Amino acid sequence: MGGFTSQDNLIQNITTNGKFWRLDWNKLFNPTTAAVGGEWHTLFRGGGNPPADAIFDAGTNLQFQSVFDVTTSAGAMQHGGNVGANGDDFKVILNASGATVGATTVPGVLMLVDVLGWHRVTTVTTATAQSTVTSNTFTASSSSGLLLTYANDWSNYQKVRFTTTTTLPAGLSLNTDYWLVRVSSTTARVATSYANALAGTVVAYTDGGTGTHTLTCRLPRYGDGAGVQTFFFNPAATAMGAATPNLLLGYTNAAGTASRATPTSPASPIGKTAGSNSLILHSGATAAGKYGPFTPQQAGDTGVRLIQTIQNSVSYVSGTYAVAYVKPLITIPLTTIGVAGEREFLSQLPSQPRVYDGAALYWIYYSSTTTPANVSFVGHVDFGWS
Amino acid sequence: MPLNFKDISDAYDAGQWRVASWRKVPTQTTGSGIWFDLSMSPGNPIPNYYAAAPQIAIALKRSTDVGLDHGQNVNALGMKKYLRTFMAQAVTATAVPLPMIIADYLMFYPFVDMSLVEVVPMTTEIALPRYPTGAGVRILPVLVASQVGGAQFRIYYTNSAGVAGRVTPIVTCNTQVVNGTIVTSTPQTAGSTGPFMPLQDDDKGVQLIESVEFITGDVGLLALVLVKPLAAMHIYDITAPVEKDYLIQHNLMPEIKDDAYLNMICMPSGTLAAAPINGLIETCWTTN
Repeated sequence: MGGFTSQDNLIQNITTNGKFWRLDWNKLFNPTTAAVGGEWHTLFRGGGNPPADAIFDAGTNLQFQSVFDVTTSAGAMQHGGNVGANGDDFKVILNASGATVGATTVPGVLMLVDVLGWHRVTTVTTATAQSTVTSNTFTASSSSGLLLTYANDWSNYQKVRFTTTTTLPAGLSLNTDYWLVRVSSTTARVATSYANALAGTVVAYTDGGTGTHTLTCRLPRYGDGAGVQTFFFNPAATAMGAATPNLLLGYTNAAGTASRATPTSPASPIGKTAGSNSLILHSGATAAGKYGPFTPQQAGDTGVRLIQTIQNSVSYVSGTYAVAYVKPLITIPLTTIGVAGEREFLSQLPSQPRVYDGAALYWIYYSSTTTPANVSFVGHVDFGWS
Repeated sequence: MPLNFKDISDAYDAGQWRVASWRKVPTQTTGSGIWFDLSMSPGNPIPNYYAAAPQIAIALKRSTDVGLDHGQNVNALGMKKYLRTFMAQAVTATAVPLPMIIADYLMFYPFVDMSLVEVVPMTTEIALPRYPTGAGVRILPVLVASQVGGAQFRIYYTNSAGVAGRVTPIVTCNTQVVNGTIVTSTPQTAGSTGPFMPLQDDDKGVQLIESVEFITGDVGLLALVLVKPLAAMHIYDITAPVEKDYLIQHNLMPEIKDDAYLNMICMPSGTLAAAPINGLIETCWTTN
């Protein structure tokens, strides 16, 4: 499953076997404010097909939330469903295109990313490092299977691992991935695979174990964080307040090393004052501390597994922002109005980036000029699998 | 270079890569066919003005001077970082066609006075921060205060073999007056050479500059920048970006040293004033 063993194998699969999906998309730029050249914006909140998201400015402050293509109101692009029996296989991107007819919108660059999860931050006036919420203690009981009860409202299908001070409930093991099947804001059942979670096939109740149990979040895809990047963005309709804070993370890297920190050399990422709806806050046209689109990582790090702390170094005065975990997949430069940027990933740019089951695909856009609010982008993505 | 494509593929799967955007918007009215130093232009990365104590060598580093964002240092992990792809585009008609060169700017000698018609010693109290022998290192003479044009000069230097007293041919400056102009390049002036100073016969690079001699003087100031050219590309027109994949297209990914200060020079077809030039830089790193 997954990729292809040869060009013949590819042709056989995407033609005779029908293992091909074409996704057509049409998204609008953010609905309220034009971009300044040099800025990156998400297209999450723009209307179109798929529709604007309604999730990134929702949820408990600082809590980790996962996103999948099936997440309600996520506005992620639908790429044809899962292709693996366990919900852990992948398609590859064969071709992609993007175009705009918006005056002054080009030049620019579209980047397709798999958004894995995010932390919403509402306490933006706090200038010290704030601890994220990535774990809960829980108790186990019986209710149509093993039922966990905890404090925070975890995402449906949240991937987790369990630890305990004594013995885990029967059916659960240490150092093993599980998926929560949300029952209520404080309860969930447990599945042994993403596919089982989607199907509602859950772990049966035998006992509740002994001691204090803890669940800890994992990224839904790229679980160890290899290649996972992060950015701060404004997910709300209103602009951030007037301030230019350093935007800093404390995180566990892809190697599992905790207490890693956003580097401050040559400069810390700096948020834009009054950063608008959808803006990646630390991107920008000029001045030190402008990083686009991703925050820098500590020397030697190859990805972010989980964020422990988030800090805006001075009060952001008002607004909310989110810190997203993303896996960048492809880029499409747009140079001329009305002319599609086209990519072919077998011969032109041999890479065939993987799109894992459940991937939440979104576009972000790099403006080199004043991209108007609500300007339209269109395009397509072709997927194949074996 | 990494051993093979699998090394590269494995590096990407392990997250050993980074992509970042850049955007320069020159304010200077550049001239057709005259090389220009984009490091002196506003944008992201921030401009560099070559401001330091006159005629004393000073190093340029990513950690202190910013430059293009190529990611963090990797050498301590037993890895090397490479330039994988570079994309650039411009939609201002006077900018294109636009040859570009990415270089590692190593160190510079600030404020060399073009009016002193004599041999003026330069002070070098530091070693090159990267490429310590100077192999492949070139001299980029950048105008930092307006000239009139037409001056002639030569540079005495120590070559990459450590031989002192080497001397460049005498070159003639162009008549372009804006800061950032590379004074030795022009399509019209006899005795001009291109973006880099020519070296004495058989020399492969420059370790340090010993002195500068203007044969005929001028008003104006130069920064003499020691750079290691890494890669080249060419924006052909305003309807398409240039995209270079140095693995697939060139079979040679230039190495990027730890803490390298990367920036670009270019040769516009007309003025670059208010002409945004933007793109992406992608790097990857492996143990080979």
